[in-house]
Amino acid sequence: MIVIVDGVPTTVAPGTTVLEAARAAGSYVPTLCFDDRQAPFGACRVCLVGVEGAPGPIAACTTPVRDGMVIDTHDDRARRIAANVVELVLSELPVEPAEHTELATVARYFELGAPRWTGAVHAVRHGDDHPYLSFHHELCISCGRCVRACDEVQGTFALTATGRGFDANVAAGLDEGFRLSACVACGACADTCPTDAIGEVVLTSMLEGDREEER
Amino acid sequence: MSSMSRNLIEMIRRHHEQDGQTALALLKEAMDSRGEITDDDRRQVAERSGLPEATVYGISTFYDDLVQPRGRRHVRVCTGTACFAATHDAHVDAIRDGLGVALGERSADGEVSLAETVCLGFCHASPAARDGDVIDAGPGLVERVLSGTMRDAGEPAPVSLLDEPVLTLPGDWAGLRHALRESTSESLLEAVKDANVRGRGGAGFSAGQKWQFTHGAEGAPKFVAANGDEGDPGSYIDKVLMESSPHLVLEGMALAGWAVGAGHGFVLTRSEYPRSKPALEAAADEARAAGLLGDDILGTGFSFDVTIVEGAGSYVVGEETALLASLQGLRGTVSARPPFPAERGIFGLPTLVHNIETLCNFPFVAMHGAEAYRALSPGATPGSKLVCFNERFTRPGVYEVRFGTSVRALCEDVAGGLREGRAIKAVQIGGPLGGILPASKLDTVFDFDELAAEGCMVGHGGIVAFDDTTDMAAVARHLLHFGAAESCGKCFPCRIGLRRAHEMFANGTTVDRALLEELLETLEVASLCAHGSGMPAPIRSLLAHFPEELGLA
Repeated sequence: MIVIVDGVPTTVAPGTTVLEAARAAGSYVPTLCFDDRQAPFGACRVCLVGVEGAPGPIAACTTPVRDGMVIDTHDDRARRIAANVVELVLSELPVEPAEHTELATVARYFELGAPRWTGAVHAVRHGDDHPYLSFHHELCISCGRCVRACDEVQGTFALTATGRGFDANVAAGLDEGFRLSACVACGACADTCPTDAIGEVVLTSMLEGDREEER
Repeated sequence: MSSMSRNLIEMIRRHHEQDGQTALALLKEAMDSRGEITDDDRRQVAERSGLPEATVYGISTFYDDLVQPRGRRHVRVCTGTACFAATHDAHVDAIRDGLGVALGERSADGEVSLAETVCLGFCHASPAARDGDVIDAGPGLVERVLSGTMRDAGEPAPVSLLDEPVLTLPGDWAGLRHALRESTSESLLEAVKDANVRGRGGAGFSAGQKWQFTHGAEGAPKFVAANGDEGDPGSYIDKVLMESSPHLVLEGMALAGWAVGAGHGFVLTRSEYPRSKPALEAAADEARAAGLLGDDILGTGFSFDVTIVEGAGSYVVGEETALLASLQGLRGTVSARPPFPAERGIFGLPTLVHNIETLCNFPFVAMHGAEAYRALSPGATPGSKLVCFNERFTRPGVYEVRFGTSVRALCEDVAGGLREGRAIKAVQIGGPLGGILPASKLDTVFDFDELAAEGCMVGHGGIVAFDDTTDMAAVARHLLHFGAAESCGKCFPCRIGLRRAHEMFANGTTVDRALLEELLETLEVASLCAHGSGMPAPIRSLLAHFPEELGLA
């Protein structure tokens, strides 16, 4: 079937999502909870785009295309609302995301400054029990990518979403850290994390730590 | 394409085939027996449910009933909208101060614990509180809670204002008998489409279309899921149906199952309504004994049975994808659609999901046909509707009414206006996602389109009046506190945005109107389900009708 993305006719297979169609057409649609190794999740709502005839912006990652669909990835309202969502995400973190992270990249794309909405932020909590993986719970934005990587890619089921509402987060095993969980240290969670809430402990920094202890 | 883990669903399906209990049911048992859940409990639940430990941990941190520690005496105080309208939360403060325990806490000696609950469905007698399975409500509640002399509050019987009651009947299975004898499953499906039965859970979606989708979906077996998670604070309609007319509910499920080709149904009841599950189970036993449920019903070859599952405290579980997750014992979070439940529901198989009240319409259609059903509300939405009123009214209770009367007629003629000579300041119809109608707009017609034109909705039919002593800024705080606390946490706008919206009203400073409206629009447009997209509706009503009370800047 054929869809029109930003004016460009694009041939796609039935069952293709709007996001896949947009990317096939060469258009950029920002995302936070999407990872093309995983089933679409539809949580972050940052991939909003305009579709002709729709009552409002739609989430590109979970919407299947229809034949002849006219998609506008530059739709003003979609971009403004998506930017607001990213701004809300920045407002829940006690620190700014590191520059190299996907979250920081998307925030730069939307040219966001300090969040206009302010209030409670996530409590700082670190899990440093594992030799290869670090946990910074305050950076978790509940995108579910680590949980799905562990489920769909690795098949280990060592991670889960926890809590509810603003207090949602992630945990390994019974929230006693990676070492006591079923984790096999594959690193798929750290690889997909868009904020460094789960990161790989850099070996060199461990060696430096050892040297300091020797002194 | 799905956000409910296919791997976990497959584990659960295999476990179910061996008649195993769900992780959620096992966690509830652990909580009931010890008053808290330990890591040892979680490990055992993982072993017995066949689910990963992390998954069990995630479930155990989601539901209200699993996270609130219980003392030897566990008091739950209702903070629903009807209780708020009755006391402006004075009962909550008095019980907290009198017991000397904060909400969500347990005393150091383990003697007493206190938790918030929304809502106990005793909105006709607010305020309400619960101790174990005793639910008390009405004048003197606080004193009885503090003196340990709580007793079961009574409940008014539902009243039908129709010539012949439809939804307030106890249910006699005549519709199913008639259909099995006189009709075919195809003609029943056509009759439900022809009758234009609209879903009564809030969205008003065509029941016939849902039947058509589920009937035509690939995959077997198929299921019927009855949504008894009537979480709307101020609504106790499904409660009355499940507890007073359980046979009508089950008959509606069997009819739906027959028409779409399903052989089993699940009912999700609320743990806030401890009497619902026993009432439905007793009715199911009676029906099985009479040959109306089970194998080869009435010798026709049609087999249908039901399982009653009690939830664990979560408003968003009333959303259909979250309902399916919860029925399977998982975290009650929302999933993006498609796939719709009709294609991929329980155990990944086609599932017809209906609200409890919707199901209760089918026996009438099966017995009397589409034309008689449409004639119940001439010139308006077909069928009848149950509405219920809060304690502020002179005659609170559940009433069966026609669509197309005015809200004023409902409030004044049916419920008798407010008690103690108070005047209505505003009414909220259809739950926390419904707009708020000021007294000046009471002549609005009670029907889908007319209410929508005022930013309101039929919703599930709960009508909560705020009297003339109510501070509307406090209403905004009350609603947004509920909205933020009940967000499932799945989609970003709702998870963060409702928290920020509540903070804008609760932090004691003026509310930046432009910034608030930007936030409301973000919630409306971007949220994954009706919780996030619907919570702005009552706030928009307050902005339109009571701006001077909101402390706007």
